[in-house]
Amino acid sequence: MTMLRGDSGYGPGLPELHKRLRWVALAVLAAFALLIGRLWQLQVMRGESYYERTVSNVVKERYLPSVRGKIVDSKGVALADNRPAFNIYATPKQLTAEVKAELERMLGLSEDEIVKIDERLALGTKRDPKSPILVLEDQGRDRAALVEQAKSRLPGVEVHHEPYRYYPQGDLAAHLIGYMTQMTADEADKLTAQGYDPSDLIGRYGLESAWENYLRGKRGVEHYAVDARGQRLDEKTIASLIHGERVIDPVPGANLVLTVDSDLQRLAEKAVARVAASAVVILEAKTGRVKAVVSKPSFDPNTMTGHLTHAEYTLLMSDPRKPFIDKALRATYPPGSIFKFITALAALEDHQAAEDETMFCTGMYELAGTRFRCHGYHEKTDLLKAIQKSCDVYFWNLAQRIGLDRIADMARQFGLGAPTNLGINGDAGGRIPTKAWYEQRGPYKIGYAANASIGQGDVEVTPMQMAVAYAALANGGSLFVPQVVERVESYEGRPIVSYDPKVAKTVTIPPEALEIWKKGMWKVNNELGGTAYDHGVSQVVEVMGKTGTAEVRKHHDDHEHRDLEKWNPNASHAWFAGWAPAKDPELVIVVLVEHGGAGGTNAWPIAQRILDGYFTKLRDKNLPAVDVPKVKPPPKKPGER
Amino acid sequence: MKGMMLPRATVGVSRWRRFRAAVDWPLIVTTLALCAIGLLNLYSATRGVRHTAKFEAQVQWMVVGAIAFIIVTVVDYRTLVRGAWFGLGGAVALLLLARLIGSSGGDDAHGETYRWIHITDSLRIQPSEIVKVMVILVLARVFADGEASRYTARAVAIKLGVFLIPIVLIAIQPDLGTAVLVTLIVLTVGFLAMPSVWPMVYTTTAGLLCIPVLWEKMHEYQKNRILAFVDCSVAPTKLCWHTQQSVYAVGSGKIWGKGFLGGTQNQFNFVPEHWTDFPYSVWAEEWGFAGSVFLLAVFGFLLLWVINVALSARDRIGAVICVGVAAMTFWHVVVNVAMVLGIAPVVGVTLPFISYGGSSLVTFFLAMGLVANVSLRKHGY
Repeated sequence: MTMLRGDSGYGPGLPELHKRLRWVALAVLAAFALLIGRLWQLQVMRGESYYERTVSNVVKERYLPSVRGKIVDSKGVALADNRPAFNIYATPKQLTAEVKAELERMLGLSEDEIVKIDERLALGTKRDPKSPILVLEDQGRDRAALVEQAKSRLPGVEVHHEPYRYYPQGDLAAHLIGYMTQMTADEADKLTAQGYDPSDLIGRYGLESAWENYLRGKRGVEHYAVDARGQRLDEKTIASLIHGERVIDPVPGANLVLTVDSDLQRLAEKAVARVAASAVVILEAKTGRVKAVVSKPSFDPNTMTGHLTHAEYTLLMSDPRKPFIDKALRATYPPGSIFKFITALAALEDHQAAEDETMFCTGMYELAGTRFRCHGYHEKTDLLKAIQKSCDVYFWNLAQRIGLDRIADMARQFGLGAPTNLGINGDAGGRIPTKAWYEQRGPYKIGYAANASIGQGDVEVTPMQMAVAYAALANGGSLFVPQVVERVESYEGRPIVSYDPKVAKTVTIPPEALEIWKKGMWKVNNELGGTAYDHGVSQVVEVMGKTGTAEVRKHHDDHEHRDLEKWNPNASHAWFAGWAPAKDPELVIVVLVEHGGAGGTNAWPIAQRILDGYFTKLRDKNLPAVDVPKVKPPPKKPGER
Repeated sequence: MKGMMLPRATVGVSRWRRFRAAVDWPLIVTTLALCAIGLLNLYSATRGVRHTAKFEAQVQWMVVGAIAFIIVTVVDYRTLVRGAWFGLGGAVALLLLARLIGSSGGDDAHGETYRWIHITDSLRIQPSEIVKVMVILVLARVFADGEASRYTARAVAIKLGVFLIPIVLIAIQPDLGTAVLVTLIVLTVGFLAMPSVWPMVYTTTAGLLCIPVLWEKMHEYQKNRILAFVDCSVAPTKLCWHTQQSVYAVGSGKIWGKGFLGGTQNQFNFVPEHWTDFPYSVWAEEWGFAGSVFLLAVFGFLLLWVINVALSARDRIGAVICVGVAAMTFWHVVVNVAMVLGIAPVVGVTLPFISYGGSSLVTFFLAMGLVANVSLRKHGY
């Protein structure tokens, strides 16, 4: 302090200052100590964490979406593909109300889109307000250009040119292929741990959902740097800031090669064009491979994948025909008469029935005081005629001999009442009632067996189950797990997994019993009086099958739905199940027309149209070496009416 | 020190050599060192935002400031103090002029302000900066009397009351930071220069009691700045963001800093307006704890040197001038650095010689010129 003493020789100019010097020194020291202490705290004690904060201020990572695997049919036709699209991303933190208003004004956003943007921004804010989130996907070139041009006025808004899911065949096989949607907030939490980005679309339905893990591929990452306004810095600066790998390339997803034949699929969809609701399943008889599977009504997966407006959604959801339920796999129906092979085979195996046993159908059957009505007067009927004309009385009699549990047992042997394990869209089990099942719910009535024997009552199956069971009949007892994916290939075409037909189990049916049933089935399609024959005979290929008309419980309150495309919820379900060619089964076909009426009148013509089309046009293309099927029906058996 | 006593006793040495010996070289060297640091820092601060014109403008202002320094050093400070009232009157007139013809400072956060007088499109001055120098000169005049009995309560009240005029005018510009700063200068000088400290204690207590009233009169953005400092969740996040980013920038420098031009916070604009109000965060980020303490040490030396000049001044006027300059420097440094370190609200107080801006720069050159003036004449030159 001596230095600070006045030495001018004039004495202190300001003696007060000299007196109060220690206070001055104290104040200055205290202030500087405070500042240096704070510097120590910030830079030395917390320096490392602040350093990381500042790096994360600048260095961002953007995930690079992987190209999703294609879904192609057995001939390589793409059913699900990708096309370039413009996606608009926004960084929630930078998207102020003004910027959002500007974006809305500039693009002329609709109410729906604004709601969507708000939802996604809220989700993004919750996750990480500083990283961009997809707000508008698959935008047109004009909107992308508008945003690009106005970049400076729209801080935090980016346009990315990215692959977008695309279904080139439109709604073809929509239920099978499925669609994709954005994930919900809950899913986002779970899925980000699995390497998803909250902006990703995920497979929501059909194969897109079930095979998600093969299709999605692996995303890549790009590290880049931004300034405070979120603008990207130049390459040189980025290079100086980011050490290590800057870009990790995405790995494209694997392609699914289906067993489905898109031409046959299209043919089948055209064949059901004029009915309101239906399902068609076509399997390869000897492999269980799905060649076509139709569920109508359906939807356009291109719309579902990110373009569904609220109005469209409401409309689809209010449709009483339930367009989002796969009618081939998820919905269950009483099978009606196509179920009769179960009763017949069980009775024949137990020697409770014989080909030549005749019964007399008066159109009426009385059991324990209840009158059952057959749908006709079949008079004197043997087993083959009972199959041909679908006489219920004959089967009711058989049911009394073998009982409900025997029927149920046989049904289960054929895989009915249990999921087929195709592995998509819920794949419902349905129901095969047993005595025990009824007893759980009340007193057992003797009529239950009668109902079950003709596929009514509480029997419920899916068209897919029926197709698998009929394929077993056609191929002599191999009950296949239906197969829709033939193989999985990497994006370069390298095989990853290949699937062989898988037999779930082999049904042991005495060959004679099976032969008797097949004879009856043949008559259905190929003899006068057959329930299908009367409504058309194929001139192209010999078909054999069975029709079914499954009555439904009447809903008298559903008047408002009655006139919808001739869809009447009180009408019976029309069924046809069969195969072609009759002698060397190639395709098994099951057609269900929901509330379509009688099977022969309504389901069989559809099956016929599909089979005719296939065997005239498609088969030759598929199999170069064809043995032309016999067109003429075989000679009639004697004794037939 | 002994060498500097020479001139008075020396006969036959030329005027020039006596002058050279009397010039306060440590003061000049420290000032120039700060200018150099300021320019270095400004170069880095403005590089990332393409404001290189600011660097050139700052150099030009430094030349202007140096000339002002020389002028103020050469003219005897007693002459200057004689015109102090006149000078303060002029400065107040400029404040009023700014109120009439001035316009918004162009800073959106402040809304409409009247801080500036535009002389040409590119040249604008901030009268509140000149007021500080004039206030110091007037203080020297007010406290020139060493007789304790003259400082009656009434006299003190009137004398200090005069300063309320420029302070209020600055506060309603509105520029709370500068208003508070001028108040702090007046109070500090009062405490150090008045024969008895009690009148100052009373005045300060009364002033503190007025704070609630002043709070009600404050602009929303000013309240928010203070609230933002107290609790980030109360005020708009933008203000918090300034402070927070500044704290991150300082902290991220760690011990040795990120190196010149290496501060990402500053280079990529995360700390807004970092060349005017937050140059210390730029410095701290790039030079670390070592550099930050060094810069504070330079300011500390400057401060001690100015106080030293005050202690050795030959008369009261000179000493009070130096005390005023020391107070101004001290408060500028402490408030600005504390603000950058997130321990004081964000107010527009510059860091002497480091902040970008002609008015502030010239003001501090003038202030240091006054000190050099006092230092030069302590031996009766």
